[in-house]
Amino acid sequence: MKKDKKNSFHTPEGYFESFNDRLMDRIHDEELKEAESRIPKTDGFVVPDGYLDGLTPTILSKSEEKEPKVISFKPNRNFYYGAAAVAALLVLFFGINWNPNTEPISFDNLANAEIEAYFEQTDLDMSSYEIAEVVSVTDIQLNDVLTDDLEDDILMDYLDENVDDIEELNLEATP
Amino acid sequence: MIAEETLVQELQQEASRAKAFEVLVNTYKERLYWHIRRIVLNHDDTDDVLQNTFIKVYRNIDQFKGDSKLYSWMYRIATNESLTFLKQRSKKMGISDQELKNRMVENLQADVYFEGDEIQLKLQKALSTLPDKQKLVFTMKYFQEMKYTDISEALETSVGALKTSYHLAVKKIETYLKEN
Repeated sequence: MKKDKKNSFHTPEGYFESFNDRLMDRIHDEELKEAESRIPKTDGFVVPDGYLDGLTPTILSKSEEKEPKVISFKPNRNFYYGAAAVAALLVLFFGINWNPNTEPISFDNLANAEIEAYFEQTDLDMSSYEIAEVVSVTDIQLNDVLTDDLEDDILMDYLDENVDDIEELNLEATP
Repeated sequence: MIAEETLVQELQQEASRAKAFEVLVNTYKERLYWHIRRIVLNHDDTDDVLQNTFIKVYRNIDQFKGDSKLYSWMYRIATNESLTFLKQRSKKMGISDQELKNRMVENLQADVYFEGDEIQLKLQKALSTLPDKQKLVFTMKYFQEMKYTDISEALETSVGALKTSYHLAVKKIETYLKEN
């Protein structure tokens, strides 16, 4: 609470601190009122005579849910059972005996892309030895699986450095 | 006037639904009419949207959870129905939303249910230049004299943001009226 030293008047707590905000709010409100005064108070729309009185029955009639027509199955129940049984038998008969693909599906029917995708996405968990057993070196070009071209001299250098006995490689002479 | 909670309960019970719905329509038809009319401007379009709004309320009353007031919930449906109606119309006519609004205001001059004078027509032109939200806040506050708290529930916007929108709308309208 602030007190004037020369007299006993005082102001409410925080009066001067909040004065600016209150003044700005007031100016803001005054401005708004001034602006509003230029805007007409009504907007000129009217409704046709009696429209609102007739509106309730219109809406009520539209919102009523129409009762669905009930069709009884009872008189023809045996007929439907019979028809369903015959249909089931036909489906079963044709399902067993009718096969449009006379040729059996073979490995050749698989698209290469599907096979590649299978190998890429499946963790085969095969060792290099197992892979070497399945895929003959003669069927595959090393450059197919390497990202960089493998020059012959690099290959020879590698073999020189890492292989003691060439017989260990178990290479077969290509015809 | 019947308490809102009681009305909602009656609307959600099969036995009392029809009667309660009639009360609901009678209570809110006029307020919702004016709310929609100020968005779609034309009487016949308002009639369509108003009926659709009430039918939607009737069909979805079971999903009304009471998190907001029934009144605000219906305002929300009416607002969405009106804005969707305008969007569909502009799409159907192959024109932009703004072009549709301009045409709607132009049509007012020939509308038998619009008795506005020059200044009121100018006001509609000014309103058509505002973004949807500002226009909604302005008409709800200025013409429908709704409280900010009610507008806040209906438009799912904070009171602070609404006040800013209203202030901006008033300023823009005033500038438009001065310049034109």
